[in-house]
Amino acid sequence: MLRRLFLASPLLSTATVSAAVFATAFIAGHAHSAPTLGQKAPEFSATDTAGKPRALADFKGKYVVLEWVNPNCPFVKKHYNSANMQGTQKDALGKGNVVWLAVNSTEREHPDYMTPAQLNAWMKDKASAPTAMLMDEAGSIGKAYGARTTPHLYIVNPQGTLIYAGGIDSIPSGRADDIKTATNYVKQGLAEALAGKPLTAAATQPYGCSVKYKSSL
Amino acid sequence: MNPVHAFPRLLAAIVLIANFALPTWTLAQNSAKNVVTTPQVRAELMAHAPQGVEPGKPVWVGLQIAHQPEWHTYWKNSGDSGLPTRLEWKLPAGVTAGEIAWPAPIKIPIGNLANYGFENTVLLPVPLTIAPDFKPGLLANELDIELRAAWLVCKKECIPEEGTFTLKVPVKGSTAINGAAFERAFAAQPKALAAGSTVEIVDKAIKVSLSGLPATLQGKTLGFFPETPEVIETAAQWTQAWNGAVWTASVPLTSLRSQSPAVMPLVVTAGEQAFRAEAKVLGSWPAVAAPAAVPPPPVLDSAPRSTNAAGPSGVTLTLGLALLGALVGGLILNLMPCVFPVLAIKVLSFTQHADDRRGHRISGMAYTAGVVLSFVALGALMLALRAAGEQLGWGFQLQSPTVVALLAVLFTVIGLNLAGVFEFGAFLPSGVASLEARHPMVNSFLSGVLAAAIASPCTAPFMGASLGFAVGLPAVQALAVFAAIGFGMALPYLAASLVPAVARALPRPGAWMETFRRLMAFPMFATVAWLVWVLGQQSGIDGAGALLALLVGLSAVVWAFTLKGRSRAVVATLSVASFALLAWTIGPNVTKNVPMGAAVAATDRWQPWEPGRVDQIVAAGQPVFVDFTAAWCVTCQYNKKTTLSDAALLADLDAKKVVLLRADWTRRDPAITAALGELGRNGVPVYVIYKKGSTPVVLSEVLSVEEVRSVIARL
Repeated sequence: MLRRLFLASPLLSTATVSAAVFATAFIAGHAHSAPTLGQKAPEFSATDTAGKPRALADFKGKYVVLEWVNPNCPFVKKHYNSANMQGTQKDALGKGNVVWLAVNSTEREHPDYMTPAQLNAWMKDKASAPTAMLMDEAGSIGKAYGARTTPHLYIVNPQGTLIYAGGIDSIPSGRADDIKTATNYVKQGLAEALAGKPLTAAATQPYGCSVKYKSSL
Repeated sequence: MNPVHAFPRLLAAIVLIANFALPTWTLAQNSAKNVVTTPQVRAELMAHAPQGVEPGKPVWVGLQIAHQPEWHTYWKNSGDSGLPTRLEWKLPAGVTAGEIAWPAPIKIPIGNLANYGFENTVLLPVPLTIAPDFKPGLLANELDIELRAAWLVCKKECIPEEGTFTLKVPVKGSTAINGAAFERAFAAQPKALAAGSTVEIVDKAIKVSLSGLPATLQGKTLGFFPETPEVIETAAQWTQAWNGAVWTASVPLTSLRSQSPAVMPLVVTAGEQAFRAEAKVLGSWPAVAAPAAVPPPPVLDSAPRSTNAAGPSGVTLTLGLALLGALVGGLILNLMPCVFPVLAIKVLSFTQHADDRRGHRISGMAYTAGVVLSFVALGALMLALRAAGEQLGWGFQLQSPTVVALLAVLFTVIGLNLAGVFEFGAFLPSGVASLEARHPMVNSFLSGVLAAAIASPCTAPFMGASLGFAVGLPAVQALAVFAAIGFGMALPYLAASLVPAVARALPRPGAWMETFRRLMAFPMFATVAWLVWVLGQQSGIDGAGALLALLVGLSAVVWAFTLKGRSRAVVATLSVASFALLAWTIGPNVTKNVPMGAAVAATDRWQPWEPGRVDQIVAAGQPVFVDFTAAWCVTCQYNKKTTLSDAALLADLDAKKVVLLRADWTRRDPAITAALGELGRNGVPVYVIYKKGSTPVVLSEVLSVEEVRSVIARL
């Protein structure tokens, strides 16, 4: 007769084992997954506001500018109401081998959330015409890129390497007057990259409202 | 009245009235013009000049911001987002304003981001320097101060606000009406520490050493606030420790760092106290961007490295194939030394109820349900954590030394039970025992959960590709793959319970069962030995030694509790006390962070893998063989000792000048997790051969010499 084994008492053994295996999954702590300049930009795939699936891999061979956006953020409004962002987008797209992807990582439950239809209407209203606006409600693209603010800008070169990460320009403020005296880092960066020169400002301070991510577990 | 006398008296009256009325009038003006109220804050410009406004006397001005509940403004370094409050002064000639004397901030987390700022009421004081050439206004004898302030106030949304404030401070006499607020602000200032504090750049983090802190703080947990933005990863977990009188901390750097200061001013807080040090930076800042004078040559061909479908060697895995692979993987799991004893014991229990066919069937199905649901739950947990941004792969639990140590403890206890050192009947309260007896189905279900939990760390062949594929699928299909693994694992037992011939084929219960049970203790202890070795890779020899010592102590405690009467009281107390002492003294060694890569010696053929290294070497024209491995991966170790040590294979690799890189995933490494993701995998082992101009060739998990040699021959 098999006397009582630890294994044969599922109640107690399961309690201890489950505690050890399942709960301690959280012990190791946060693993931040921000990319590094000069390294491969993280891959992503998402649906855009027109319902089409897009992936970074689709644009290999072109420069890709990523712009984190939230229409309700005063800093995004600063650059859109003054037509600064739209101008930067046109400037970039006009170069021929540049693609501009706006990314919205606002979570569904946040008051700032806008549906794809609302975002399309907003873009039309502002005369903003990026190649696509990606819906990133889960925040996975944002977290993969370490996007912290809206706006937060990144440039990926045709080989897939991240060459710029930071703000749209050099004066962190909410005032539209500051735009004309500030250096537009995206315009400058793209011009330098297309000329084959190293970027004078490859990493700058992004400024704006925080990206409205879903709270982590 | 004589008009001649009246006029001077009238003039005097006017002047007197004006002298009194004017200040009153301006006071009335002040109360309107030095306060700006918005729905979120009440901002007030205040002055503090207790000894009048003269050169050499302390003159302070400041903006006091009273926030509505839950709204906040920002510190000098606003953190991941936000903007520090900005003050622009318009002062008369001879008066200059200094920098804001920022009080110590609080850390305001928002999800996975964090800011530094202020809530409730904060006063930002600014010192004014009065030069001798300062002349107050002709009639007024006052200092005219004008302030344009801009602040960003946020709760869930952010509102940039501005205000223009004016204030007149009498030159003569004392302005101390706001004295209490200014004194509070001065008290909240971080106190300067003497020089000698340093910040050392080590790999992807900084090591802070602060000296000169008061002795009363030793042992306390401090808050850490760097004044330089864009250097550290604000929301990341960081560690701190006291080294005698020196406070040290290890803080991760942000990978998108845009500042490389030579001196880092830091503030540390302990409750209401705050201290500031100007720490000298030792070491050099890693280059932030690769110099791109010439665009780097295209490394591999145009095949996109995506995280979905493309499986090993370009074969696209269909869902069906993945499910099949998962099933077979699950079956093979039963042979792993951690699972085999459980399965064997379970099958043995058949002999106790040899004729209860219906009972067997129910118990078999309940067990299967337990295993399948547990695998689905663990899979769901991993997927959820990945969706939340964690860079995790299968086996993630084993990347933490704490988990490895706890598993070792658990398996030791199970092994001791199997070996007969203690019996459970003595420990189990009778209530639980009868509960279990009355619900045999629940019993079986829970033993299924137990088996799944014990099996999860063991990686079986064929599971790797299925799991990597599963992660890229929509949730329902991914969970189906996990369920298939569980089903494969439960299959032998389920088959045994449904087929009556199995129970009949087993020998009758007898003394042999005791012997068999004790025999099963040895595979359990073998698993413990392996876990101790894994811990050794993660925490060094000290960690492994400490764990072994703790396991010995624990075994003594367990045995002590099997004794009876007085010997139990004495021995149990002694053993528990010794164990506690042991845990307290050498316990921390177990989780100590030992730098990885110590395993790869400089003269070794294998060099450590780094992100971007493969691209560099391939661009230079050499093929690369990458071994993604981990100490806790049994299959990896097996391959390392057999195929990867084969002399003929190594000769082939040398002949083709293949560079050998080893990516060690024993501890969490987001770069390696990302690289695995690009190959369509999320577990180890993974063996890849990269060559210029072709897609990476992913080899099978159970590596055979012929397979590798044939791939190399084609290079």
